[in-house]
Amino acid sequence: MFLFNYRYRLKCIFKDRQLMFWTFMFPILLATLFNLAFANLSSSDNFKKVNVAVVQNEQLDQNPAFVKALDGADNLFVVKYTTQDQAAVLLSDHDIDGYITFDPDLNLVVNQSSLNQTIIRGFLDDFKQSSATITTIITQNPSALANGNLEGISSRTEYLKAVAANQSNPDPVVNYFYAMIAMTCLYGGFLGVKEVVAIQADLSDVGARINLAPTNKLTVFLASIMAATTVQLLELLILLAFIIGVLGISFGDQLGYIALTCVVGSLTGVTFGTCIAAIIKKGEGLKIGILIGSTMIMCFLAGMMSANIKYTVMTKAPILGYLNPANLITDSFYALYYYNTHTQFFTDILLLCGFTLFFSSVTYFVLRRQKYASL
Amino acid sequence: MQVYKAFFKVIQKNRAQILIYLVVFMALALILSGAYNPPQDTDFTKVKVNIAFINDDGDSQLVAGLKTYLGENANLVAIPDETQKLQDALFFRQVEYILRVPAGFTEDMLNGKEVQLEKTTVPDSTSNIYMDLLINKYLNTVKTYTTYLPGLSQDDLSQNLEKDLAEQSKVTMISNGTHSIYAEKSGYYFNYLSYSLFAILILGVCSVMLVFNDTDLKRRNLCSPIRSANMNMQMVLGNLSFAILTWLVLISASFIMYGSFMFTATGLLLLLNSFVFTLAVLSISYLIGNLVKSRGAMSAIANVFALGTSFISGVFVPQELLGANVLTIASFTPTYWYVKANNEITAAVSFNTGNLSSIFTSMVLVLAFGVAVLGVTLVLIKQRRVES
Repeated sequence: MFLFNYRYRLKCIFKDRQLMFWTFMFPILLATLFNLAFANLSSSDNFKKVNVAVVQNEQLDQNPAFVKALDGADNLFVVKYTTQDQAAVLLSDHDIDGYITFDPDLNLVVNQSSLNQTIIRGFLDDFKQSSATITTIITQNPSALANGNLEGISSRTEYLKAVAANQSNPDPVVNYFYAMIAMTCLYGGFLGVKEVVAIQADLSDVGARINLAPTNKLTVFLASIMAATTVQLLELLILLAFIIGVLGISFGDQLGYIALTCVVGSLTGVTFGTCIAAIIKKGEGLKIGILIGSTMIMCFLAGMMSANIKYTVMTKAPILGYLNPANLITDSFYALYYYNTHTQFFTDILLLCGFTLFFSSVTYFVLRRQKYASL
Repeated sequence: MQVYKAFFKVIQKNRAQILIYLVVFMALALILSGAYNPPQDTDFTKVKVNIAFINDDGDSQLVAGLKTYLGENANLVAIPDETQKLQDALFFRQVEYILRVPAGFTEDMLNGKEVQLEKTTVPDSTSNIYMDLLINKYLNTVKTYTTYLPGLSQDDLSQNLEKDLAEQSKVTMISNGTHSIYAEKSGYYFNYLSYSLFAILILGVCSVMLVFNDTDLKRRNLCSPIRSANMNMQMVLGNLSFAILTWLVLISASFIMYGSFMFTATGLLLLLNSFVFTLAVLSISYLIGNLVKSRGAMSAIANVFALGTSFISGVFVPQELLGANVLTIASFTPTYWYVKANNEITAAVSFNTGNLSSIFTSMVLVLAFGVAVLGVTLVLIKQRRVES
């Protein structure tokens, strides 16, 4: 009997085209759009050599030290030597970020203030400051020049060594995909709502028929929930395969834990839906409305629209993060991808299990032993 | 005017769904105008990178000097020295550079020993390169002094450093004329407008079309004593007034937020552009309204269209960050041309034939989209009538 119900509930779900669109096609579409839109977002920070022009004039010829310093900075700049007029044209066409001219002092001409201009400025400051240092040394200790040459000044020591935060690239774009998977999990609530409607005698004809049957309602309902979770999990795994395989978004390499998150997330989503459907007595439209509305608010707080929101919640109101299933799912993936330890991951998973338990208990206590005087 | 009245009765019944998109848009518009402050390009201001400075060494003048120097050239963000908190801050770009001064740094540095500071950065980023430049500059100056002026006291060293590093080069800013602070903000506003406009018009027009295209109802209407031309006229009027009403509601907040700016050339062009776009969207909505068969499909299509076009056309992510092939696909939607025109209008400091012709070309293309789609729809309707 259990298997019979299970099979037929599966058929009912797969045949519901609208439901399949929202729980399956829509997330895949959204993932594709995210990928199209965010593809260049993180690489836009990447350093590209700054284009500068240097105006060739007599004053420049009198400063060979500057040209030498600029040649030494070829890892920073692409330098063009031009006339004053050419430089002005290049600047207004945005072909260069700024041009350097001696008139007679070192002068930088730009038409906007952004990081590239700040870098040119930093380099010029550096040049002037080095000259100032030499002057200070010579005034304070004239013998320095006599004792040896000042060549040591132009040889630079590298004082920094990079220490990676961990093996994964800190790329905020992945968080959008994690939050989107959280959304898909909670959209599993559509399936939960459908199953509750289908078993409640006052909500659907099928429900009335089922309640007449001499079968234990819990058994029937468990079969429904199993069917819903199966479909949800299947959809989620296909989505995950699509995001990892086709779109190439990194989730780290702990596949077992990722699968665990999917299973727990699916259960949370489906029971979230049954819980809403059980509590709210009004029509299916309102149930769906509340499901979509609450899911969107939770996903917003988990950073689906702007990754910074997740950080703000994390630092300013961590409790809000722990009470938000969407954030817990997002955070599980984030912890697996980014942290070196598993403490955060297991905290998230345990809390998600807690939510699942809570949602199922509420559903159970509302649905059991309902009797109708009239339908 | 029974048909016209019936049109708005149907809209009334569906107002909840439509209001959602209105509220979403208003919220977005408010958040954006509050949070975003475009840089003013009249004077040169150096960009400050957000960094975290962690000192494992004791308090020394050298470290304090380095910290002050970095504080002048970057924003020091206080982050607790815990691995996960630092990792989080870097991931979400709260800081882009974490500098850790190792224990024993001051002593080694002053004695001319080899010493290295640890940096944790966003790999390959521009801010990383810039911060490296600054920090290496400071420490190399220290090295120069310790090499050539051995026995210099920490006091004198700090003084010398402070004096040298205060040297700045001159920067001349070529200003392109003054740009209203509202220009960029209103650009965002009108770009986001396309998302809500698409969703609202598709939902509104479709819900009416679903009712009027119902076979039984259509047959009943056809045998009514109103002439079919009259009925169609009223439908056209209904669609147009609904679209214009939606447009008016959506642009209304811009007058509240940007005030008299909306009456400048830039503001008026933005309004004109959005009006032209409204007509094109109405025409697309009309086509969709004649194609969909169920209310479920309607909300699915409204979402797919509104989100899809917005994502690929540069509404949510600026066009310059989108890939070339994405933009090529997007150029087959009116939203792309609408956003392109908006960006050009808000970027222009003054209007000349060059930029105006580009702006109006985009508008004409949007209008052409509308006319083409309307043509397809009319052919479709005609064909159906002949078939049935």
